[in-house]
Amino acid sequence: MMLRGLWRRRWLSLIVLIIAVVPVVAGSLGPMYTDAARTTLIRETLDKAILDHRGWRVTSVSDDAGELVKEITAPFLLPPIRGAELLSPNDKATKTYPLMWVEGQCDHVTTVVGRCPRAANEIMVSRASGFTVGDTVKLSLLSDPGAEKRRLTPLRVVGVYETDAADPLWYGRSLFPQTAGVTEGNGDPLLTAPETQGTVGVKTGGDRIDALVGAAWTSTAILYIDRNKITGDDVASLESLHARLRALGRTGETTTVFGYMDETLEAVHRRVDSLSVPTTLVTVQLVALGWLLLFLTVRDLVAARAQEIALARLRGLSTLRIWAFGLSEPAFLLLAALPIGIAASWAVVSRMAATLLRDDLVVTVDGFTVLCGVAAVFGGLLATALAARQTVTQPVVEQWRRTPRSRRRAWVVDAVVLAITAVGLAELLAGDVITDATGQRASALIAPGLLAVALALIARRLLPLACRALFRLTRTHGDIGAFLAMRQISRGSATASTVIVLAAGLGLAVFAVAAWSVTSRNYQEVARVHNGAETVFVVPRSDVATLRKISADVPGTAPVIVTPGPPAMLATDPARFASVALWRPSYAGNRPLNGMTAKLTPRTAAPRVLVGGDRIRAEVSTPKMPDGWSAILYADFRVTGETKPAIIPLGRPDSRIKVHEWGLPRGCREAVCELRGLRLEVTMAAGASLEDGPTGSVVVKKLEVRQDGRWSTVDAGLADTNRWTPAFVPRGGLPLSLESFGTGAVRPDTFPDPLPALSSGPGAGQKLPGLDDGHFSGFESVASAQALPGLNAPGVVVDLETADRVAYGYSPRTEFQIWAAPGRGDEVREALRRGSVPVLATRTTDDLVSGYVTQGPGLALLLLIVSAGVAALLALGRAVLALHTAARRRTYEMAALEAAGARVRPLRVALLLEQTITLSWGALTGVLAGLVAAWAALPRVPEFAETPVTPPLDYSLVPVPVLLVACAVLALSMIAAAVTSELLLRGVRVDQLREAPA
Amino acid sequence: MTQAVRCDGVVQIYKTKEIEVVALRDIDLVIEEGESVAFLGPSGAGKSTLLWLLAGLLRPSAGRLWLGGTEIGRLGPRALDRLRAAQIGVVLQNPARNLIPYASAVQNVTFAQRAVRRRARRAAGDLLDRVGLNGVRDKPAGRLSGGEQQRLAVAVALANRPRLLLADEPTSQLDMATGQTVIELIKELGTTSVVVTHDPRVSEATSRTVTIRDGRIGAEGRHGEDFVVVGREGAVQLPPEYHELLPPGSMARVEPLPDGVVLRRAES
Repeated sequence: MMLRGLWRRRWLSLIVLIIAVVPVVAGSLGPMYTDAARTTLIRETLDKAILDHRGWRVTSVSDDAGELVKEITAPFLLPPIRGAELLSPNDKATKTYPLMWVEGQCDHVTTVVGRCPRAANEIMVSRASGFTVGDTVKLSLLSDPGAEKRRLTPLRVVGVYETDAADPLWYGRSLFPQTAGVTEGNGDPLLTAPETQGTVGVKTGGDRIDALVGAAWTSTAILYIDRNKITGDDVASLESLHARLRALGRTGETTTVFGYMDETLEAVHRRVDSLSVPTTLVTVQLVALGWLLLFLTVRDLVAARAQEIALARLRGLSTLRIWAFGLSEPAFLLLAALPIGIAASWAVVSRMAATLLRDDLVVTVDGFTVLCGVAAVFGGLLATALAARQTVTQPVVEQWRRTPRSRRRAWVVDAVVLAITAVGLAELLAGDVITDATGQRASALIAPGLLAVALALIARRLLPLACRALFRLTRTHGDIGAFLAMRQISRGSATASTVIVLAAGLGLAVFAVAAWSVTSRNYQEVARVHNGAETVFVVPRSDVATLRKISADVPGTAPVIVTPGPPAMLATDPARFASVALWRPSYAGNRPLNGMTAKLTPRTAAPRVLVGGDRIRAEVSTPKMPDGWSAILYADFRVTGETKPAIIPLGRPDSRIKVHEWGLPRGCREAVCELRGLRLEVTMAAGASLEDGPTGSVVVKKLEVRQDGRWSTVDAGLADTNRWTPAFVPRGGLPLSLESFGTGAVRPDTFPDPLPALSSGPGAGQKLPGLDDGHFSGFESVASAQALPGLNAPGVVVDLETADRVAYGYSPRTEFQIWAAPGRGDEVREALRRGSVPVLATRTTDDLVSGYVTQGPGLALLLLIVSAGVAALLALGRAVLALHTAARRRTYEMAALEAAGARVRPLRVALLLEQTITLSWGALTGVLAGLVAAWAALPRVPEFAETPVTPPLDYSLVPVPVLLVACAVLALSMIAAAVTSELLLRGVRVDQLREAPA
Repeated sequence: MTQAVRCDGVVQIYKTKEIEVVALRDIDLVIEEGESVAFLGPSGAGKSTLLWLLAGLLRPSAGRLWLGGTEIGRLGPRALDRLRAAQIGVVLQNPARNLIPYASAVQNVTFAQRAVRRRARRAAGDLLDRVGLNGVRDKPAGRLSGGEQQRLAVAVALANRPRLLLADEPTSQLDMATGQTVIELIKELGTTSVVVTHDPRVSEATSRTVTIRDGRIGAEGRHGEDFVVVGREGAVQLPPEYHELLPPGSMARVEPLPDGVVLRRAES
C-alpha cells in the first residue's frame, strides 16, 4: 500500500527523495571530502619534503637493522630497504670509501661498464672514482680473516656505475662526493654484494668497541612512507610509528634512527589541523539546510496525506500506528536516500578530488562516513516527525473544519534563533571566545547560516505586514490582480517557508561566493607580494657580482638576494627591481615603486679598498708611548668565501718603528680581499697610570701589499677625508686616536650607515641582518609601504651594492634569485639555460596560489562554494515548489473567480505578482544575509593555514561575482514565477467547481 | 430495550481564535439499540456536529453523552480511539473521503480493521460480497465509480462489526438508483444507525427522524408523523410552516388543554 501511495504522489515523493538525499550528501560529503583533502595535504607535504623527511634510516653496528624494523609495519610503509656499509680508508690512506650494499642497488644504478657485483669481494665503482673494470681496491679495514698474517682483502672491480644521487635508495645523503666534483678525502661508494660482509674483516655484531669506533659494518634499513598509499587517516598511525622508531633509537648507543619526521609531522599538522574545523562547520550548515528543506518538503508530503491520516484516526488506530502510517512514506524515502546520498557523495567527492585535489586519490566510503549519513537520516527523520506532527496530532474534526490554530508559539522559536544569532554575532565581532586551536576563528563560518536564518525569520514576518498595508490600498485602487496578490501574501501561508528556505539557501550561496572571491583575491595579492615577481628563479649562491652579471645578461630581470629576518632584508638593483616587481601603488599612498627605489642608492660612496697578495705592510708614524702602555694595529678584511671578517694584527705601533708588516689572510692570496677597517687597541699594563695615558694618534701613511714578490701601494686614499669614516683631519695620513676614549677605529666610507631602505611593518630601531646574517647594521626608512614585493614578513628593501658593501660575505640563509618581469618567465628560463646558469627552483605566483588553495581553509572554502551552490539551487527549487503547491490549492478559488466573470489577465497578474514578490523578497533577503555575513565574518574566516603578516588582507567584497549571483538568482526567480504562474493558470478550469475543494 | 445512545443536555461550542460558536445546545436524545435514526435540518443546524459527537471525535462542551453505556466525556483520547475502533462505523459525506484512493477495495477494508482484534473483524471478502463489490476487490478505490465508492465506504464502516453506524449524507452525490442501493444496504444491516441527510428517501427509510434547528432538536418524526419536541425549560420550536401564523418575534397566549396547550397569537 505504501508503494502505491508513493506512486500516486510520485512527483512529490521524488522531490522528497531528492531533498532527502541533500542532508545525506551534505552529511557524508563533508567527512569524505575531508578525508580526501587530508590525504591530499599529507601527500603534498610528503611530495614537497626532501628524502630524509619522508622516512627513517635505522642504523646499527651491533644488530641487523632489518631485523630491528621487522615489527614496524603499516599499510603506508614501503618494505624496508636493507643494507650495510663500512667506511674505510684505502690501503694508502689517501681516501676513505664507503663499502656498501643496498637491497636492489643494481636496479637503481646505470651500469656503464661491466656488471653488478654478484659474489663476495666484487665491487662496482662510480665513473668518477677513476677505477676501471678489473682493478682491485684494498681497504685498510678489510683483511682476510683466514690468513695468519694480516693481509688486506682485494676487492675486484666488476662494473662501473652511474646513479642519480636523488634516488630514494640513497636517502638523500651526500654519498657521491667524487661525482659531485668534491674529492677531498672521500670517495664514492664501492657497491658490493652482501656476501662480502660475511667473508671479510669485521662484521655486524662483532666487537662492540670496533662497532663504536666505526671499525665495523653498519647495518642499515631505510623505511619510506609510500606516498601513494598514505591517507589522511594515517596521521595517528604515523605518529605512533615515529614514536616507536624514536624509542628504538634511544634503546642503545649502537642503534641510531636518522630522519626529520618531527618536522614533517609538524608540517602535516599545521596544514591538516586548519582543515577540520572549517569543513565541519560547512558540513553542519549544509546538513542543517538540508534538514530545513526536508522539514518543509515533508510537511507538504504529509499534508498531502492529511486526508488519509484523518481516516486512520477516524478508524480508531492508535497514536503509534498513526505515526507509523503518517511517517511510513517519508521514512521509506529517507532510508532510500541513505544509499543514494552516499553514492552521490562518493561520485561528487571523486570528481572533486580528481579535478580539484589530486588524481591519485582513491575516495572510499568508510564507517564514519556511513555513520554521518545515518546521522543525517536520523536528523531528517526528526525533521520529518516535526513536519508531520501537526497533521498527525491535529484532531480529525479540526482537519475537516480547517480550523485555524493559534501560532503564538512560533514567536518563541523566532526569538530563540534571533537571540542565538545576536549573541553569536556579538562574540564574532567583539569577542575572542569562538576561536579554534590555531587561533583562527574558523567558527566564523557558522555566521552565514545563523544570519541567514535570523534575517529570514524577520523577513518572513515583514512581508505579510507590508502586503497587509498594501492590501488596503489595492482593495480600493487598481485592478483585482494586485488585490488578490496582496491578500494571498498577507495571509502568509506560503510566504514563510519560501522566504526562509530561499534566504537560508541563497544567503549561504552569496556568502560562499563572496568568501571565495575575496579569498581568491587575497591569494593573488599575497602570492604577488610574497613572490615579488611573476616568476622567480632561485640560482646557486655565488656573489653579488655574479648575480648582477646574470641579471645584466638577461633583459627583463632583476638580481635579488633575500635574507630572512626579522626584519627580512631584500637586496636588489633598485632600477631593475622597480621594473620587474609586482607592485600596487596603493601599498604606499599611490606612489610608484621606481620613485621610491631611486632613493635607495646613496649619492656618494667611497670606492672599496681592494687588496690581493700574501703580505701587507703599513707605514705609520706613532707618538711616543707612555710607560706601561702599548697598542696593536689591526686590519679587518672581507675574504671571499667567508662570512666573518678576517682580522690580522698589523703590528704594535712604536715611535721607533715606521713600517709594520704582516701576512694577509689566506683567502687574499687566491682572490681579491677588501680592507674593511683599521683598528687600534690600546692596552695598559698593570701598574701603569691612567692619567699618563697616551695622547695623539697613530697616523697610517701608506699601505702596501706584496703579490708575486712585488710590493705595490694600495689605493686606500688614506689622506682623503671622503674615503674614510668617521671624519678626521688628515695629518699626512689616516689618524687613529691613541686616547683611551678616542676614535681608535676607522673604516672606508663605502656605504652609508644607517642604510637607506624601503620598509614595511614596524622596524624602527631594528638592525638588519645583512647579507652575511651576522653583521647587523641600522637602516633609515626612505619610504614605507604596507607591503613590499618579495617579503613575506615585515622587512626592508635595500640597494644590492650597498648591502654587499656592508656584508662580510653571504650567509647560507640567503637566497639568490633572478626575478623575471611579468610575461617573461619562459624567456628568462631559456636565457638562463643558454647561459648555463643552474636554476635550483622556480616559483611563480600561480604556484603560490595553488599552494594556498590546497591548504586546509582553501579546501574548506572549495567545499563551501560547491555545496552552497547546489543547496541554493535546491532552495530555489523548493521555494518554487512551495509556491506552486500553495497556488494550486487555490485553483478552485481561481476557477470560482473565473466563473464569476474575472478576466484571465488580472488572475495572471495576481499569480505572477504574488510569486515574483515572494521569490524576490526571499532572494533579496538571502543576498542581504549573505552580504551581512560576509561583512561580519569574512575578516575572521581563516583563509590561510598561517595568516600572512604582509600584505594586509583585503576583506572588501568583490562586487562582480556577488552581483552576478544576485542577478542570476533574481532572474531565475522571475522565470520560475512566470512559468509556475502560467502552468497554474492553465490548470484552472471552471469544471473544478463541480468538485469539492481540495 | 437497551439504549445505544443517550444525550443529556449536550452542548457543543466551537472556539476559534476570535469567536465562540454554539453549535449544539441542550440536546436530549435517546436512541435505542437497533433503531435507525435520520438527522434532518438545514445546513449549519448542527447535524454533523452531533454526528461527530456520537462518533467520539468530539467531546461535548457541556452535558453528558453515553454510547452503549459508556460516558464518552470521561474517556481519554486513547479510550475514545478504542471505542471508535470497536463500536462505531462512520461513513463520511463524499464517498471518496472515506477511502484511500490508491489502495484496493480489500486494502481499504483491512486498513479499517487494523485497530481491532482479529476475531472482531469481518472477513473482507464477505463484506465486499455483501455490498456487491467482490468483482472489483483488487481495483484501487480511486478508480471505482461513485456508487461503488459509497458502497465500499459502507463496507469499510462495517469492517469492525460496529454497534453503531453513523453516516453523513450517504446519498448526496449519488444518482437515484445508486442512492437507493445504499439506502437498502443500510436498512439491511439491522445495526443501530444514525444518518445525517437531506434526502427524503433516506429519512423515509429510517424508523425515526430527528430535526435539528439552530443547534436544538426541534422535531421528531415517527411512523410518518412529525412531533415538536418540548425541550428543557419548556422550549418548543415551531416548525417553519407555522411561522406565518406565529412569526418569530410575535407574542402568543398559552391556553391550557387537558392533554396539552394551545398557542394563540396575541393581538398587540
